[in-house]
Amino acid sequence: MSAFTALLKREVFSLLVTPSIYLLLGVWYLLNGLLFVYALDFSPEVQSDLSLLPQYLFGSSLLVWLLLPAFPPLVTLRLLAEEHRLGTVEPLLTAPISDAAVVLAKYLSASIFFLLFWGGVLLLFALLASVGADLDWARVLGGFSGALLCSLLFLATGLFASSWSGNLILAAGGGAALNYLLLFLPAITENADGAVGALAQATHIPNMLDRGFAAGLLDSYAAAYFLGLSALFLFLTWVRLVSRRWVP
Amino acid sequence: MIRVDHLHKRFGPVHAVQDLSFEVLPGEILGFLGPNGAGKSTTLRILSGFLPPSAGAAAVAGNDLTQRSIQARRATGYLPENFVAPPELRVGEYLRFRAGLKGVRRARRRRRVAEVVELLGLGPRLRQPFSALSKGFRQRVGLADALLADPPALLLDEPFGGLDPLQRQEFRELLRVLADDQRKAVLFSSHVLPEVESLADRILVIDQGRSLAMGRRGELLARLEQAPRQRLRIAGDAAALGAKLPEAFPGLQLLEQEGGELLLQLADAEQRGALFRWIACRGEEVHAFHPDTPTLEDLFRVLVADADADAGEEEAA
Repeated sequence: MSAFTALLKREVFSLLVTPSIYLLLGVWYLLNGLLFVYALDFSPEVQSDLSLLPQYLFGSSLLVWLLLPAFPPLVTLRLLAEEHRLGTVEPLLTAPISDAAVVLAKYLSASIFFLLFWGGVLLLFALLASVGADLDWARVLGGFSGALLCSLLFLATGLFASSWSGNLILAAGGGAALNYLLLFLPAITENADGAVGALAQATHIPNMLDRGFAAGLLDSYAAAYFLGLSALFLFLTWVRLVSRRWVP
Repeated sequence: MIRVDHLHKRFGPVHAVQDLSFEVLPGEILGFLGPNGAGKSTTLRILSGFLPPSAGAAAVAGNDLTQRSIQARRATGYLPENFVAPPELRVGEYLRFRAGLKGVRRARRRRRVAEVVELLGLGPRLRQPFSALSKGFRQRVGLADALLADPPALLLDEPFGGLDPLQRQEFRELLRVLADDQRKAVLFSSHVLPEVESLADRILVIDQGRSLAMGRRGELLARLEQAPRQRLRIAGDAAALGAKLPEAFPGLQLLEQEGGELLLQLADAEQRGALFRWIACRGEEVHAFHPDTPTLEDLFRVLVADADADAGEEEAA
């Protein structure tokens, strides 16, 4: 446990002192802030029913489609790919810590850090409430939980891509490509007949966010989908690390 | 303490390590000597748990590297060839992090970091980021890292690389203390002969992944002394004399000829007197005539040349 805690602390610290992360955070807050203002000022739906606002920020808005798949891999790219690139992976993997603990510590650090991304958006709702807006907090917190769960999945794919090599572009691009695939493939095939269509509808992420979490519902199927797929990508990352020790 | 049995490592068609076996005992320093690409770093990477062997077995402190990898790694302090720490961390932060990673208990961590910092003279550099350190201090941080958990075995890959002569001397003394006083088993690799010669209790010569020779310095040099060598300098035509000598003395070999100087390998020590008389009878003006003391470098050259010749023959067959 001591080794795991030490690595977790170091990873969180390293993220905290990485300047590019703050640039990402700034862009994230700026775009979400603009969307927030746009929804309040220019969306007749939101103006007439404020309870629809969480769907804009946590649901299937343009930001979720375009930005959410790209940002988590930009956070996770340094977790393993940077270690490979710098050569620090050798001291790390020869320390007496299991490969599973390395994967979990790195994933958890990115997940904790990503709370800052969504936490800032949540603050916008708190700000709105502080000026007297009557918010449906079940929808706000549901939407926040759904977006967070979706981010956990995208962070896991990002970490998996980061384990491939020391190439940071491949790590970020590979992670984003996987995320866009998870997002777009069901959307493209949801109207197909038979099993393909059924599978696409069952794995349609924006629908899970929109109709479940951002509507104030705790969707256990969607939660299991996000967590299960996250676990799968973490397992694949572990296999990638451990195979180096196993494959002669 | 460190045991290697018939270790093999292949990278595709390349045999990086072939049938390597050796042991390093507590309090012993084994120098791993070989040219670049000989398989030294690969062997150390296998022993550190970073790479798996293709065949054979290796254990540190009784822990098999494939069966009990974490325990073996806990018993090992490893300094990679190009040691790098995360550039954003200061030396003190890095060592505290590594102590935690290596399972040094929280209550002991600060004291243990202070001990290795003092041992390696890192005190003035504690607040500097790793990226701002010179190569010598980076190596010290790497060694401090290797020592943090007080492991019984140390694996050091080219530990003298990039150090100035004074730092090398300090490093050698430190390793000697660690072996003699703390009974650590030290395995270090180098392609710099004087470093190995001056530090190692035993030497393992490796080339193309194969062990060529292993033993104490004296034992290894005794191999060359069985065929005594003679250095000869004359005023006349050394090349012409060198060409005639093998005909006149069966078993004698001309090893080198540079200017008026010849290096000869004699068939036996008895040939020395006969050789001197023969040269004197020819009326040559002899400026120098003395036995040539073999060095580890000579042995290394001979072993590597023999191994290359064997490999050539195998390839041709």
